[in-house]
Amino acid sequence: MNLRKKIMLNSPVIDGIKFIMLAMFCGWLIYRGSGRIGYNWQWYQVPRYLFTFDNNIFTPGPLLEGLWVTLKITACSLVLATVFGLLTALLRLSGSLVGRVLARVYLEVIRNTPLLVQIFFLYFVLAPIFELERFAAAVIALSLFEGAYASEIIRAGIVSIHRGQWEAAHSLGLSSFDTYRTVVLPQALQRILPSLTGQAVSLIKDSALVSTIAVYDLTMQGRTIIAETFLTFEIWFTVAAIYLIITLVLSLIVNVLEKRSPGGVQFT
Amino acid sequence: MTRSESVVKEIIIDVDNINKTYPGPIPALVNFTTRVNKGDVLVVIGPSGSGKSTFLRCLNGLEEIDSGTIIIDSIPLDDNEKHRLEIRREVGMVFQSFNLFPHMTVLENINLAQRLVRKKNRQQATRTTMDLLDKVGLAEKAESYPAALSGGQQQRVAIARALAMKPKVMLFDEATSALDPEMIGEVLEVMNLLANEGMTMVVVTHEMGFAREVSDWIIFMEAGRIVEQDRSGNFFSNAKKERTRRFLSQII
Repeated sequence: MNLRKKIMLNSPVIDGIKFIMLAMFCGWLIYRGSGRIGYNWQWYQVPRYLFTFDNNIFTPGPLLEGLWVTLKITACSLVLATVFGLLTALLRLSGSLVGRVLARVYLEVIRNTPLLVQIFFLYFVLAPIFELERFAAAVIALSLFEGAYASEIIRAGIVSIHRGQWEAAHSLGLSSFDTYRTVVLPQALQRILPSLTGQAVSLIKDSALVSTIAVYDLTMQGRTIIAETFLTFEIWFTVAAIYLIITLVLSLIVNVLEKRSPGGVQFT
Repeated sequence: MTRSESVVKEIIIDVDNINKTYPGPIPALVNFTTRVNKGDVLVVIGPSGSGKSTFLRCLNGLEEIDSGTIIIDSIPLDDNEKHRLEIRREVGMVFQSFNLFPHMTVLENINLAQRLVRKKNRQQATRTTMDLLDKVGLAEKAESYPAALSGGQQQRVAIARALAMKPKVMLFDEATSALDPEMIGEVLEVMNLLANEGMTMVVVTHEMGFAREVSDWIIFMEAGRIVEQDRSGNFFSNAKKERTRRFLSQII
């Protein structure tokens, strides 16, 4: 094969055509499969589960209401998970033996048990004891889970900051707290932002599991609609697309943020 | 070297019989004793790995000593965390690798400790910072980030950052060793200026010309021990120990 042919085959146009052919093939497979089981596509039914627009009044449908709950859960868990993650990372790096052991136990327990079991444990065991609501139980379970993973990312970020930065801050008379706050964490955060975004994306996806304790999030709303209408294919496609849009938008925002700050994120 | 001889001597750094070992066979510092008068410049020289930097880093508590005492400006450097912070406030340090904070502008680098440790407001801090940047010849770089500066410029900013705390003592840990040859001069010039203003300085350096020019006292050390400690004039013209003479003949 000569060079010219090679370039032709690797050009973006050819790639595009390959991609479209693949997508069409997948679509055809689904269409054929659904036809074979006699599936009756009713896409026109879907919009009213997203929102209705009567007399110029916008009313969110169950799917958007579910999305709102998913976003609330995710936002609360993200804040709490960051707090758990940061505290655990600091404990693991601290001079206190008790602190290090505690952090280690938390990490091992969380990382070596299924999230679904953790959610059930919190909801069925701890929630009645501490009188937690569903929503609170869901948020706590998710933040404990994601916090454990976030702490490892944060710890790696802190350790990656050169020793000279600590020494410079200390020799200026800064306390350890101020050194962390103004010198180490802003630089560490900059470095770990991509991994933390990945973690946030996982959090959004994992939040679907709280539908198992009857929190009416996006997934739960989808299940309910399907139970009532049998629009199985359409609704699951729609739900998946909504999750995809949210996670892509999140990645995009972080990308922009990352390009903006030189060398670090400012806390002040 | 008559600058400090006429005034009344006041000991500002008092290091008495300190010892330090790292894990490994070679001790870092052995029975190390020295005193530095206010306004004097002490230059520490010696072969690589002789413990020069370790000694310097012990002076502001970046390294722990195993035994002995260090007293700086009447504050003992001991287990008391308060003392350690007090000493660090009075002792500025300049590193071989500059260690500027890369996520802050030059101005923010120098303002930081003034605001957090000296509790100045932004205006007061900025005024001091701009004065210091003027002094090191970098006033126009206030809004730049360290990455945009040359090595020599970064080191001058690092000196300004340490000076912003109005320290009583300045430590220089091979401040010119990481610089390209053409940038060494600009940094030595600033250090010279400080010495002439009467700043108490402890300097670890390989620049013998500079050492000879600014120092009041010289310590030559090897394997963690002081081989010879003398007034600068005597030291260079009339070293007593054979080992010192050999070292000097090799590097000058």
